Amino acid sequence: MTAAIRLTDVTKRFDGVTAVDRLSLAVPDGSIYGFIGPNGSGKTTTLRMIMHLLLPDEGKIEVLGSSDTRAARDRVSYLPEERGLYKKMQVRRLLRYYGRLKGRSVAQLDPIIDDWLQRLALRDWADRKIETLSKGMSQKVQFISAVVSQPSLLILDEPFSGLDPVNAEVLKDSVLEMRRRGTTVVFSTHDMGTAEKMCDRIFMIFKGCKVLDGTLDDIQATYGFDTVRVRSAAGASVLAGMPAVESVNDYGQMQEVRVTGDPQQFLRQLTTRTDVYHFEVTRPSLHDIFVRIARPPAAETPAPRVPAGAAAVTEATK
Amino acid sequence: MNKTLIVAASEFTTLTRSKAFLLGLLMMPVFMAVAVGVQHFTRQATDIKDRRFVVVDRTGVLFAPLKASAEDWNRAARAGDAQTLPLFLPSESSFAEGDEEARAALSDRVRRDEIYAFVEIPKDALDPASTSTIRYYSNHPAYRVLPGWISNTLNREIMNVRFRDAEIDRQLVAKLTRRVETSELGLMQRDATGAIKAAAPVDKVRTTGIPVGMMMILLFSVMSGAPQLLNSVIEEKMSRISEVLIGSITPFELMMGKLLGSVSVSVLLATVYLVGGAFVARHYGYGDSIRGTDMMWLMLFLLIASFMYGAIFITIGAACSDLKDAQGMMTPAMLIMMLPWMTWFAIINAPDSPMSVGLSMFPTATPFLMLLRIMLPPGPPVWQIAIAVVLTAATAVAAVYAAGKIFRTGLLMQGKAATFGEMWKWVRA
Repeated sequence: MTAAIRLTDVTKRFDGVTAVDRLSLAVPDGSIYGFIGPNGSGKTTTLRMIMHLLLPDEGKIEVLGSSDTRAARDRVSYLPEERGLYKKMQVRRLLRYYGRLKGRSVAQLDPIIDDWLQRLALRDWADRKIETLSKGMSQKVQFISAVVSQPSLLILDEPFSGLDPVNAEVLKDSVLEMRRRGTTVVFSTHDMGTAEKMCDRIFMIFKGCKVLDGTLDDIQATYGFDTVRVRSAAGASVLAGMPAVESVNDYGQMQEVRVTGDPQQFLRQLTTRTDVYHFEVTRPSLHDIFVRIARPPAAETPAPRVPAGAAAVTEATK
Repeated sequence: MNKTLIVAASEFTTLTRSKAFLLGLLMMPVFMAVAVGVQHFTRQATDIKDRRFVVVDRTGVLFAPLKASAEDWNRAARAGDAQTLPLFLPSESSFAEGDEEARAALSDRVRRDEIYAFVEIPKDALDPASTSTIRYYSNHPAYRVLPGWISNTLNREIMNVRFRDAEIDRQLVAKLTRRVETSELGLMQRDATGAIKAAAPVDKVRTTGIPVGMMMILLFSVMSGAPQLLNSVIEEKMSRISEVLIGSITPFELMMGKLLGSVSVSVLLATVYLVGGAFVARHYGYGDSIRGTDMMWLMLFLLIASFMYGAIFITIGAACSDLKDAQGMMTPAMLIMMLPWMTWFAIINAPDSPMSVGLSMFPTATPFLMLLRIMLPPGPPVWQIAIAVVLTAATAVAAVYAAGKIFRTGLLMQGKAATFGEMWKWVRA
């Protein structure tokens, strides 16, 4: 596997606090690679080290085959979470400026800028100042500013946060377009659905350490079919006190239950308590895996304890 | 194109397109125009309310000439298109020397604004041996025109009476005691052929006005460019633009680009001011007093000062997370910047005094004060200029070096302003 990014035993500390601890990972060339992890887990620090904004205290970082990450600077683009734009600058001038700093000439940049502005429905805004754009438009301009130099590696920090569904869709298509053009895309996200659907590989960092790294299938396979999705007449309350229930994630109309033992046995117990409309044995979602890892053990949602009155309601519903 | 130059070009374009630049461009001429205008206005807009005052003349002979002089004054005050001076309207009164009640009554009239003041002329005022004083009572001690006029007018009349009584011709005395004025000249000059040129009279505009004007051009040019770097760096930090930029260029290239952009703006401003100033100077016959060497000194000091102050403002911007933080750090920087403002007047009066020499050798003040000293004839010795230039240039290089170190670390720091201790640590790292 050719790696666009390779980290080997990278450690970064701030004032004695270890933000990233002996981290190793390899981002395959041409892939879409998702960075997930709770706030403060070391995602941005890792991205900043890859961008050479921060230097690791220990370990080695290679970007596009070069261990001097500065050498690859013109072939790597970085989009920080939100902002990153001059409010008073006109859209085209800003895109030219960012593109020129990546070593492109105005003559090379202008057709690319026009193409992206057209693609993202911003052509009429080319001569307007950034401050006149809506948030969604600004985020699209930010994205163009990152891709206008046609980078080999594109690093996006939370690119979809705060976007409405239409703009999120447009940006998702643009990311996929970049991958089709051969660009390796790394993005961090808190949206597990997006990571599941878009990423070839997913990496999770927690408290500075790598806790997940692989394809979604690989990751889910390590957890097995230990999750049941249930929709029943009694809802979450009926699960209280059931011995097979390890934890419940209550979505209101549906519950995602982690069970121990045989799921069929659990189904039989459940049907004695309530009408079951939907029962699906599945692997845990990325969201569920994330929560299992990131939630402190003491705070993990136990199976709900149901008061006596509620149990009566369950019986009545039956 | 070099990335530093791309940043510099962008910075230059952004700064010159901003309202702040236009304001800066207009600041100096507007400042000058306002200063002249205010002087003109204050001359025109003096208080012209009538000044009624009571005179108690115990000599019995001075009120009449005082009243006649007041009428002359009033005619002159009304002579122009618009009255610019108040009318003086004296009226006579009398009371005994020891009558405090009468004085209190007149004081009450002053308080009620019925009269502006009252004056007592002592009985022995005409006696050359008298030590009595003319007493002027008023509750407007700050207004000097009326007491000054009364004093001058009465003394002139008292002298006339004394000379007359002594049978001395006052006109003759005036002629014999006329002062011989001193005319100030420069030195004799020899031209290229050895011919002697006459010494020219000292012209305050040439010897003082133009040097101060050149120093002001330097001050305004630097102060219009450098402080904008603070806003620019803070905006880039707050908007995370710096993270994007540092993904493309090194922090030092970025900082140098910003500095070069700012220096270019200052050079542009100085050029505009110099061309405008030269045009005005030529119009008034002073075209020859702006020498090429002076312009060269101005440009050299402008470059040094712009880099030095630019580096200081970049440092503050990189060390702070928002403008509120920056205000606290600005105080020491502003004090350093104010030094030339506070001391240039003292340097004009004594350009070679130990204080002037010391101040002009102080690196952050050197560009302004040494330029002033160079332009004030006869100018400082060459060794002083050389030491000052070396010191201030070395300080500018050190400031840029330190700013580069602080910029590199501070640019990515969010949330809190760096302390001076932390900055020192970054510089030494």
